[in-house]
Amino acid sequence: MKRRVAITGIGLISPHGDTPDCVFDALLAGHSAVTLWDEGSAPPAAVARAPFDPARWFTRLQLAGVDRVSQIAVAAAQMAREDAGMDTLAPSTGVYVGTGMGGANAVEESFRSHYGSGRVPPLSVPAFMPNAPAAHVAMREKLHGPVYTYSIACASSAVALAEAAKAVAHGEMDCALAGGTEALLVPGAIRAWHALQTLARVDDEPWRACRPFSADRTGLVLGEGAAFLVLEAFDDALARGARIYAEFAGSGVSCDATHLTKPDATGQVKAITAALRNSGMAPGDITYCNAHGTATSIGDVVECAALERVWGDAIGNLAVSSTKSIHGHLLGAAGALEAVVTVLAIHRAAIPPNMHCREQDTQCGITLVREPGHFVPSINAAISNSFAFGGTNTTLVFKRAT
Amino acid sequence: MNTLEQLTQLIHDKFDIEKSSLQPDLPLSEYGLDSLALAELLFTIEEEFNVKFPDRPENIDTLKKLAVAIDELRASQPV
Repeated sequence: MKRRVAITGIGLISPHGDTPDCVFDALLAGHSAVTLWDEGSAPPAAVARAPFDPARWFTRLQLAGVDRVSQIAVAAAQMAREDAGMDTLAPSTGVYVGTGMGGANAVEESFRSHYGSGRVPPLSVPAFMPNAPAAHVAMREKLHGPVYTYSIACASSAVALAEAAKAVAHGEMDCALAGGTEALLVPGAIRAWHALQTLARVDDEPWRACRPFSADRTGLVLGEGAAFLVLEAFDDALARGARIYAEFAGSGVSCDATHLTKPDATGQVKAITAALRNSGMAPGDITYCNAHGTATSIGDVVECAALERVWGDAIGNLAVSSTKSIHGHLLGAAGALEAVVTVLAIHRAAIPPNMHCREQDTQCGITLVREPGHFVPSINAAISNSFAFGGTNTTLVFKRAT
Repeated sequence: MNTLEQLTQLIHDKFDIEKSSLQPDLPLSEYGLDSLALAELLFTIEEEFNVKFPDRPENIDTLKKLAVAIDELRASQPV
């Protein structure tokens, strides 16, 4: 017998800040957090940096061997727990973390040292290992349940959330701390993305470089940040009088198994339909889709094709936006941040806009929410899509807590 | 400044530990330095003092022993 799962806590270190309500207000207003990155050692790029002061969370001694990707994870996880109104979590709580690259700063530094001075910092390995963020969260929160790391490119934290929700639903644990973290705004990593020819072209308006579903889109904008959610058995949350942002209704995961980087509508349809089936919903129940929408030329078209196949003639009734247009692509943390956006859309009954789309691509036959401040009192359920390099597709379904 | 004083300053700068709390004979673990932090510290000392520790320095668990080890290395590894 599956149990219902409640979302009771949100913690963020994001390009728009670290307070869920303020972040959502900024998104709803359509404010872009994208700025120019130009450090001389690589071609300039538009990026979304997350403001973060490590001194708020760590002593200098505690920072030894702790990469930025772990620092922001610890901060976001702690804020999620506090936001859930809990001083401590039960030791049996599970930790589910998604990250694409792990400790990119430590990777960069170790290679720089290797080719430079030849003296590689001794804590490079514990700093850059991909499961370091989850381990640091577990140590900080004193959690002894399962501690898992998912590295599935852009779907990493969406899968982490899906797995955590399943564990709670099936009674493996009563509570999970789940989310994602990514911090790879370092020259080597940015240059690698640049070389793949996926990054948005930089002009004199870097803040509008990411233009999902727009006819003039040129690519994605890298972002950094961490987002965590507290998932609890719904009845437990009710019993302790917790604020419930939304119910985690279900998820669907599939793999294209066709191409490493080229998305495939058939695979995406499988994830979306599985997610709807698992959550007991029909397309008509869903008001809003927070799209994967990275603003690559092929990705946006394929995602629209998948949505159109599932929604059919009713596609016009589904409101869609890619908030990546203003917070960038957080890669391994994207699924978690966008889950937060989707959950808050339901909680606040408002849909953040898809910015910077002056003229919608005619191949993208979806109803885009393009204007800021779009309130939707009737929103009852919403989905968030995360489609990864490697072909793994994940759709998460959330619904109003009733 | 002698080596011990230099070392005290370096640990203060690197880990933000109060200089007044740093005592020559107190085990380093008393300040919260675990094996990882010690590895990081030795790496920094090598850079700052221009010395090279043997691969796995043993029995260095106080500031005084660390200062003595640095002085010995400096004497045996002339720049």
